[in-house]
Amino acid sequence: MIKYWILIPVLLILFSSFSTAQTLTDDQLQVRVKEVAKTLRCAVCQSESVWESNAELAIQMRDIIRERLVQGQSPDEIRAYFVSRYGDFILLQPRTFVGMNWLLWGGPFLLLILGGTFLFRTLRKWVAQTAPPPPEDLSPLDERSRKRVEQALRSFESDK
Amino acid sequence: MIIELGHFAVITALILAAVGIASPIVGLKRREAVWVEVGRQAVTLNFVLISIGMLAMEYSYLTQDYSVKYVYATSNSKLPIFYKVAGLWGGHEGSLLLWSWILSFFCMLAARIHWKTQPAVMPYLIAMQSTVMSGFLLLILFLSNPFERIFPIPLDGRDLNPLLQDPAMVMHPPFLYLGYVGLSIPFSFAMAALFSGRLGEEWIKATQRWTLMAWLCLTIGILMGGYWAYYELGWGGYWGWDPVENAAFMPWLVATAFLHSVMVQETRKMFKVWNLFLIILAFSLSLIGTFLVRSGILSSVHSFAADPGRGVFILGFLSFMLLLSFGTLIFRSAKLKSQIEMDSVISREAIFLFNNLFFLVAMVTVFIGTLYPLLTEALQFKKVSVGPPYYNTVFMPVALGLVFLMGIGPYIPWRKASIQSLKGLFLIPGLIALGGLAFFLIAGIRHSYALAGLTVVCFVAAVIFLDFAKLSVFWAKREQVSSLQGFLTAYKKNPRRLAGILTHIGVLVMIVGIIFSTIYQTEKVLIMKPGEETGLGAYRIKLIRLYGAEGVNWEGQEALFNVYKGETLLTQLRPQKRFYTVSQTPTTETAIHQIYTGHIFLTIPEVAPDGSWARVRALHNPLVLWVWYGGGIMGIGVILNILRGSRMKLSALHPEPALSEAPVSLPRPAREEVLHRSNRWQAFLNAVWPGRKEV
Amino acid sequence: MAETKSPSVGIRSWQVVLLAVIFGLIVLFYKGLWGNPSYIPPVLVGTAAPEITAPDLYQPKEVSLSQFRGKVVVLNFWASWCQECKLEHQNLLAVQKHFAQNPNFVMLGVNYQDKEDLARQYLQEHGNNFNHIRDAKGRISIDYGVYGVPETFVIDQNGVIRHKLIGPIMGDNYTFLIEQMVEPLLNGTATAS
Repeated sequence: MIKYWILIPVLLILFSSFSTAQTLTDDQLQVRVKEVAKTLRCAVCQSESVWESNAELAIQMRDIIRERLVQGQSPDEIRAYFVSRYGDFILLQPRTFVGMNWLLWGGPFLLLILGGTFLFRTLRKWVAQTAPPPPEDLSPLDERSRKRVEQALRSFESDK
Repeated sequence: MIIELGHFAVITALILAAVGIASPIVGLKRREAVWVEVGRQAVTLNFVLISIGMLAMEYSYLTQDYSVKYVYATSNSKLPIFYKVAGLWGGHEGSLLLWSWILSFFCMLAARIHWKTQPAVMPYLIAMQSTVMSGFLLLILFLSNPFERIFPIPLDGRDLNPLLQDPAMVMHPPFLYLGYVGLSIPFSFAMAALFSGRLGEEWIKATQRWTLMAWLCLTIGILMGGYWAYYELGWGGYWGWDPVENAAFMPWLVATAFLHSVMVQETRKMFKVWNLFLIILAFSLSLIGTFLVRSGILSSVHSFAADPGRGVFILGFLSFMLLLSFGTLIFRSAKLKSQIEMDSVISREAIFLFNNLFFLVAMVTVFIGTLYPLLTEALQFKKVSVGPPYYNTVFMPVALGLVFLMGIGPYIPWRKASIQSLKGLFLIPGLIALGGLAFFLIAGIRHSYALAGLTVVCFVAAVIFLDFAKLSVFWAKREQVSSLQGFLTAYKKNPRRLAGILTHIGVLVMIVGIIFSTIYQTEKVLIMKPGEETGLGAYRIKLIRLYGAEGVNWEGQEALFNVYKGETLLTQLRPQKRFYTVSQTPTTETAIHQIYTGHIFLTIPEVAPDGSWARVRALHNPLVLWVWYGGGIMGIGVILNILRGSRMKLSALHPEPALSEAPVSLPRPAREEVLHRSNRWQAFLNAVWPGRKEV
Repeated sequence: MAETKSPSVGIRSWQVVLLAVIFGLIVLFYKGLWGNPSYIPPVLVGTAAPEITAPDLYQPKEVSLSQFRGKVVVLNFWASWCQECKLEHQNLLAVQKHFAQNPNFVMLGVNYQDKEDLARQYLQEHGNNFNHIRDAKGRISIDYGVYGVPETFVIDQNGVIRHKLIGPIMGDNYTFLIEQMVEPLLNGTATAS
């Protein structure tokens, strides 16, 4: 008897894990459809993604995405399907290492690194060219100069 | 008849623009001021003439004269009067006319304001502005004439694009143009500096308010465009990285870099050529933007009708301007070396350079993204799209870098920062940011950019508020007042700096809005029948009924929704699906309910003809209003900066010379040390000494 | 960085770079002006035509593409709301007429994003001499990567897409379709392209 009692929760867990793998809740599914649809261009409306567009075709494309997600396809597989039909134009996010696309993806970071290094070196050079003020003069003067500035400030205030 | 008068006025304006180019040059050559005066009169008259052109167009809008082709294309007798007036900039031709009208206005104004104070600049300013002016007038008169008539006269107009029938959209183009064109004044000053070889700080001082004003208008224009997209296009987002949005964003980025970088020139007299480069780049980008938008070279929601002839002309004009301005920069810059004095890599001037680097990389990112489809087409004969997912991945890290610099830049002293002072400034904020990071992780935020963004925001906010606290306590103690009044005193002592910081706070607010409205957004798209309901995060919406509705120039359907939180009815929302009968275009009208600073956002993109169901797009966008609140704060910061008192303006302009002429005779090293040690000291010096000099 | 380079005699490298960028941009823009922003190169040409199974517009039966294996199929996507389709419609009828005698030729219309009754009404108004199928859920047009109507595909005897025509079948397109595409395929003289 006891054995059967144990089996029930085990089955339940198994069943529930199966069901989450197979049938996502509608809300979860919609979130995943959104993830994919946002990266695809609505073919008939030029500047909108499949997710944002209200065109008939975009709605149908969302249905296809949903269907394929339910079938267990990954977002990349779904995107690959649309690319095989519409070409790269359908992707709002060009593929990373195809053709010159590295320029697009890496260019800004490359520029940042190169520019940063260059800037840093130039700055160092400038600093080296600029004669530093003698450091030993500074520390003892510190308190005194502060006081004088304070004084000057005060005299200015009283002027008003 | 009136329209011909306007047409004739604009033709005369073109001739006068030619005079405006020629006569100042003659004046320079012959060294006779009278020729420059002629140029000035031409420029003033130009404003009057183009105003006549504008008024003539508006007259035909108001009298519903559909024999004018452009009026026919953008207006209709049923159109509300407000949109009749705004119809002028609802299309390509009229918006160009508005562009040149603003240009003529600014040119006249600049010539008037700076005539006495900047006589040496005037010939160049007038000639440069007139060059830009003639380019646009040629385009208007020969390739996109708004004064053109058609025959037979149509009975009624084709109506303004319904998407443009919206208050935000009415104000969006004028503000953008004010921004674009506003940049032309500092640009002309920069060109004058290049031509005359007088590369001092005068042009920057003279154009500071122009740049700020242009920046403000550009910002307002961009934000209005975003708000318009948000509720008029009905997909619940405010920024789509559309080529035309990018075209406005790129000059904004460079103008922002310029606004920061000129401070180095003001204070330390360095990077003169660099500043010239930046302002030339900013204005060139607004011309490039004009080209991209008007030539139909890129497909975009905004693109005006493509016409290769028009494209070729604008490209010719653009090439001329690019080669003239950058060419002059290249050939003159060898002679224009400025003395570089750099005491440390960790100093405010160095941070400003990194700030510029990040802004330029941000601009280049947008630029490459926008033009990449053109590039692949030219080189690989392939069509690709570059859309929001790309920018979100690549632009955001650069933007975060900028925000981080925004936190440290204003607090690192000029010349040199000691390790100790860095610790004092950034240790506590750094710890706060780490604490924030832990908190956000616990709160369940997993999106890496959102986490990084919020952490950086925490850091910068902590830096700013610690500084505010220190300042107000200091002044409160000195003046024996409350700390709030202490803060006000601090503000009065250096309004420029604090107004700048206020703008930074605006940026922070905006970023928080962007992050939260993105990661905590709940969105649903579904078909609903009357009586059905659906959950939307913590809220529920219920479709009560669908019914017909109509307006003056449209008919359509309306849906009535109840919005609940738990069992309490929060509000009723009525989104619409409209069909504008004249222009035969459907639109979706958004219904929005504000909850705190977020939105419940409903549209019905599709309704069954018999009213049995509707496709519903429902969104909950938490904190989305922070995006525009942030924009508003940024705007207030800049307005305060423009309006700051003249005494303070003086102080900001001559900090160093005033310092050296100060009556208190500190030994130089001592003064330097004061500068090194404490940033606040320097703020006092800036604020106080010039005043003393005036006394 | 204008001043970041060390000053040297003659033209400094940043000046060269700047000029090169400006010229590059101008050339790019100029080339871009002559491109057609709405033209997207087709990717399916040369690959096997995706299978179609769809209801006939008139009869209650399913039509599949594979049943035409061994024949040359001209697949035309159209809609009753599409203005350009009206322009090409008479030419489509003429193409069908031209090859009507050949048992190895099939012309098939795909009614795209349309309502059944409107489509029938359209055909009644403008005439009809070939079969049409309905693409009710848009599956066929998405499978074929259709960006807009009208688009016309030529599929050879082996079920391979040989060509895609974007826009109405008029003028050059029309003669090209008959003389350069369909006739050589039917005669077996087509070169594999």
